[in-house]
Amino acid sequence: MKNRKGYGHQGHLLSPVGSPLSDNESGAAAAAGGGGCGSSVGYCGGGGGESPAKEQDRFLPIANVSRIMKRSLPANAKISKEAKETVQECVSEFISFVTGEASDKCQREKRKTINGDDLLWAMTTLGFEAYVAPLKSYLNRYREAEGEKAAVLGGGARHGEGGGAADDAGPLAAGGGAGDGVDRAGHDDDAHVGLMMGASSVGFGSGGGAAPSYYAAASRKAYGAGEGSKVMEFEGEEENGGVQRGRGFASHLHGAVQW
Amino acid sequence: MEPKSTTPPPPPVMGAPIAYPPPPGAAYPAGPYVHAPAAALYPPPPLPPAPPSSQQGAAAAHQQQLFWAEQYREIEATTDFKNHNLPLARIKKIMKADEDVRMIAAEAPVVFSRACEMFILELTHRGWAHAEENKRRTLQKSDIAAAVARTEVFDFLVDIVPRDEAKDADSAAMGAAGIPHPAAGLPAADPMGYYYVQPQ
Repeated sequence: MKNRKGYGHQGHLLSPVGSPLSDNESGAAAAAGGGGCGSSVGYCGGGGGESPAKEQDRFLPIANVSRIMKRSLPANAKISKEAKETVQECVSEFISFVTGEASDKCQREKRKTINGDDLLWAMTTLGFEAYVAPLKSYLNRYREAEGEKAAVLGGGARHGEGGGAADDAGPLAAGGGAGDGVDRAGHDDDAHVGLMMGASSVGFGSGGGAAPSYYAAASRKAYGAGEGSKVMEFEGEEENGGVQRGRGFASHLHGAVQW
Repeated sequence: MEPKSTTPPPPPVMGAPIAYPPPPGAAYPAGPYVHAPAAALYPPPPLPPAPPSSQQGAAAAHQQQLFWAEQYREIEATTDFKNHNLPLARIKKIMKADEDVRMIAAEAPVVFSRACEMFILELTHRGWAHAEENKRRTLQKSDIAAAVARTEVFDFLVDIVPRDEAKDADSAAMGAAGIPHPAAGLPAADPMGYYYVQPQ
């Protein structure tokens, strides 16, 4: 009940900023959003048995919210359950509020991916300037950490081209480097390390730095398990995934070039 | 499938590369935009508007400075970007609830996990101020409503907090005699129209 009201509210609030939405369109947007969550969960594959229709999925876990709330209160303070639930709803509204503003900006600039800088811009526009400086520092350090991981992976590459891709990925937002990485990854179907490098370059160049850390972490864990068969299976799966990713990236690259 | 099941620890990150792989084409148009906002973001941020009373304003400003100083200290202390106080997958779901949102860079939920922490801390802190004014040790829903009513930047939340609670909070904020535990009123009426036309 509250969920639907909240989302209707979001539609109303966003009307002055973007194109006006009628009640029907708001409802359609909410339904489509739900569908999106469903497909997202499906895409994640082994993400678990979560039902996208769950009301809880529209809020952050109340335990996490409660823990953070306590950090700003005296030790002897207590928090009613109603207060926790209210803050839970407020946080979801905050995410939707900022995301909507960032999404509008991306559409105006004909971009498809919302990145960290878009969110910082949106927060400034919506009055949360005080948050931006700490977050800017945080985002830069996050990007540096991801860059270091890419460099480490580059060091372990078995092909010179892979190493080159890692080097190209060094500069922040290095579009050229990302492109080169994609080309190499797309043409080198047999070397999964090369594909990983391609993914790293692309991910870092367009702000998706989490990709290499995921593969690196998974790889380490697979080897740590000490089960040869699982390691082999994982490598095979990674290779397939890499191939698909490489081809997809190559396709997107061509599309971009045509522009 | 089976190999993935053997690596449960990184589930929040697992979804990022698989669910939303950013296309390389985005790297080219993103180039100029990544640098453009930098200048605007470098200037130091102004403090939130202080309360009307000068003394309270001074105290509040001081507390705010301490708050942000601590935020900077915590951020500098962060060395592990895989452990977050808020689940990235859930943040992504909330972002994707908007049909206009197409692709989300992996760094976006990371930024939000931190921003939401700040938001929760600020909202709770301001709510606690109201609880203390009423000499209570338990944070109530009406305290959150009071924080929303008193802080302009939280105007987008007026529809989340029931109007009856907000009215009680407004009364308390204006110094009128409000009851410590606001009675349960009727469900929130239609939201006030003029809130929607406020410039954002």
